[in-house]
Amino acid sequence: MNNKKKLSVRSLIVRIVALAAVIALAVILAVIGRGHTVYFDNKKLDADGTSYDPFYKVEVFVNDKSVAKLSEGDRGMVPVMGQDFKMVLHITPKKGSKKVGSAVSMKLPYNIDGIVLNLPALLSGAAEDVYMDEFIPTPTAEEETEDVVITDEFALPSDE
Amino acid sequence: MNEKTMRKAKFGAFLSRASVPMMFIIICALCIPIAGLSPNYLVNEIVTRMGRNSFLILSLLIPIMAGMGLNFGMTLGAMAGEIGLILVSDWQIVGIPGMVLAMIISVPISILLGLFCGKILNMAKGREMITSYIISYFINGVYQLVVLYLMGSVIPIKHGSIKLPRGYGIRNTVSLLNMRQHLDNLIPLNIKGVKVPVATFIVIAVLCLVIVWFRRTKLGQDMRAVGQDMEVARDAGINVERTRIISIIISTVLAGIGMVIYLQNMGNIATYSAHSQIGMFCIAALLVGGASVDKASIGNVFLGVILFHLMFIVAPRAGAYITGDSMIGEYFRVFVSYAVITIALVMYETNKRRVKSMEGERLRLDQEKEGKDE
Amino acid sequence: MNETKNKEKSWLRNLVESFGLPRLIITAFLLILLILAPFVGADLPTQISNIIARFSWNGILVLAMVPMVHSGCGLNFGLPLGIISGLLGATLSIEFGFTGAMSFVMAIVIATPFALIFGTGYGWLLNKIKGGEMMIATYVGFSSVSLMCMMWLILPYKSPNMVWGLAGKGLRTTISLEGYYSQVLANILRIKIGNLVIPTGTLLFFALLAAAIWAFLHTKTGTAMTAVGSNPVFARAAGINVDRIRLLSVVMSTWLAAIGILVYEQGFGFVQLYMAPFYMALPAVSAILIGGASVNKATIMNVIIGTILFQGIVTMTPTVMNNMIHMDMSEVIRIIASNGMILYALTRKTEGSK
Repeated sequence: MNNKKKLSVRSLIVRIVALAAVIALAVILAVIGRGHTVYFDNKKLDADGTSYDPFYKVEVFVNDKSVAKLSEGDRGMVPVMGQDFKMVLHITPKKGSKKVGSAVSMKLPYNIDGIVLNLPALLSGAAEDVYMDEFIPTPTAEEETEDVVITDEFALPSDE
Repeated sequence: MNEKTMRKAKFGAFLSRASVPMMFIIICALCIPIAGLSPNYLVNEIVTRMGRNSFLILSLLIPIMAGMGLNFGMTLGAMAGEIGLILVSDWQIVGIPGMVLAMIISVPISILLGLFCGKILNMAKGREMITSYIISYFINGVYQLVVLYLMGSVIPIKHGSIKLPRGYGIRNTVSLLNMRQHLDNLIPLNIKGVKVPVATFIVIAVLCLVIVWFRRTKLGQDMRAVGQDMEVARDAGINVERTRIISIIISTVLAGIGMVIYLQNMGNIATYSAHSQIGMFCIAALLVGGASVDKASIGNVFLGVILFHLMFIVAPRAGAYITGDSMIGEYFRVFVSYAVITIALVMYETNKRRVKSMEGERLRLDQEKEGKDE
Repeated sequence: MNETKNKEKSWLRNLVESFGLPRLIITAFLLILLILAPFVGADLPTQISNIIARFSWNGILVLAMVPMVHSGCGLNFGLPLGIISGLLGATLSIEFGFTGAMSFVMAIVIATPFALIFGTGYGWLLNKIKGGEMMIATYVGFSSVSLMCMMWLILPYKSPNMVWGLAGKGLRTTISLEGYYSQVLANILRIKIGNLVIPTGTLLFFALLAAAIWAFLHTKTGTAMTAVGSNPVFARAAGINVDRIRLLSVVMSTWLAAIGILVYEQGFGFVQLYMAPFYMALPAVSAILIGGASVNKATIMNVIIGTILFQGIVTMTPTVMNNMIHMDMSEVIRIIASNGMILYALTRKTEGSK
């Protein structure tokens, strides 16, 4: 009897530890698995009296893959996972000038889904709130009208 | 003499068990040349579908072992998996971590639903299948209540891409683009143009091993005992009710995880219909593989997936070619799915009756003998 | 002492026990809906007309449950099989060029042999698998519906009112009964007081069939059927041919389902083919259970009460809910309530079955 009780205490502890481990795993997954969409703007930006001019051409590499080739005024995007964001930029500042390589790594804010980076501002060392902006999607009109169709094998044939 | 009849009976049993797969092999053999699909395409499709469906079908094995028949209640697990995925895609957790998190979320929901299902099935012994079938509809109603009314109003849902424009409820389809086939492509392998989802197969293989191991554990043995004869098991000191509930819970949890794997391959959730057919197709596939209501092995699962989905792919094309109407083939495969389940159920029930009457006969003979001895 | 205590058991508890808690809740729910209806701006006579109309459409389909429940075959989840016989009757009657009330009579005449043949096969099958009837019935229904889906496309129907206009072959999913038997029964002796409409003819037709079934259950064969259902061992000992009685009950159920769908169509105004019959067994099953039937016991009263309650909730919830909270949860409520009812019935202990 006593033995059994001891065992149940032990198994209780094992269960609590297991549960805690699963919850911890869930939290870790929620942190490392957080997805963001990073948008790159190669656009002119005016902020605090300073003006950042766009490059002639930029090619963005993330994880050794070319994700965007931007001319002046273009926007590119890449979906990424986690908050540690690294990219390599191949920049051609002016037409005819030589390509310059530049590696950027930064922390992305956890609670923002879509992050817009202004590349000229970023590379000229502006403050974070200058080069970073939140991307707010504008819903298209046709999306606004979606009907829900409930189906089950119980549904009565359309009445009237 | 006795041995001969025994062998005959064994052969007969084998024949009746092999009849459904045989029938399917014949159907497929007839349809494949007519459909005119390239072998490469066929193999690719089959491999994809094996990865997509096997885990779900494996979830059916344990209740069969416990004598509870085909668990139509696996739909419950599928719904739990969907809820997990909906939440995860609202939180924007992507890729493999997102999948695993969705599985983790689905588990407690599956356990609760499995517990409910198991308790009800214990109240309806002898009618488990029809009851689990109705439970799946009942819980479907609850699922719709949660997803259509509570999500967005009580359960916070942030993203407009998931939420209905009216402010609560989930859209008809939820995109899983950011975890689409992430598991399948985790370990890329391409054999002569056939894409093999290695990681998915590894997960499935692990589950197979777990099932094999589980059969040998004390609980697994108990389940088999309960499946054979509830009264005998009870006399042997097994808690029959508890064992049955556990078997349903395990099945539901596995179905939830399986649904996450299934949907990551599909790449989107049809919020209100993805789960409704899944139970039927999984059960049909298992039966096509030669399983019966009271006996199913891992081999049945894989044979079933291959044969059933082969039929599924070629039937519409073959039907369209023969009759000039593509709908015929669509209806044909639905008909075959239902017919297979019907045939399997009829065979199971007639067998059960034959065994029962044989036992009764033996009992009567024994009694007569005893009477004479006295 | 003990006895007096039993007698003193509160009448409420007695009511709950005899009526069943879920049924009580559903009745109370419907009453609340009816009381609320005028306050939220719904017109009560219209609502009641709706309920009566829908009762008249569905009554016979629910009645089709009775013979099989009586003979111990359980709830007839295989209702679609009978419905298909009815659909064959309906489409063939139109194909042969009958119109008006005659098309209804001919639909019944043509449907009958189909129902007898299908019912016999179905009954024969159910006799082979005693104890597993309900599950197999469900799948017999499904298989036959999906088989017929192919047949509707293949069979050489020609009537331009039924086939797809472009292809010139293959039946349409819904066929209008305008000019055929739409409302033929309902128009007989139809009563109209303000917004209240009563389709007397349809109700009389239902009453006729219900009375026939009631009378049948009191004949020698009918009592034998009840005996088979309540205690097959005893019935066999009494010299009743159990298999034959069961077969008879299945044929009756199938035929009633065939007639039931024709009556439904005359009220609804359309023939619905393909997957439509799929969805018709569960509402009927749930209706008779709400009316107080169990897996092995059902009376005509159960049919009437159940159909009124079920159709009442189906018609009233959307209107009241929509007007009250602007949130149409009626579908969900219906799904949960009707399936919950079936679950409740399945988990009751039943004696004598199997």
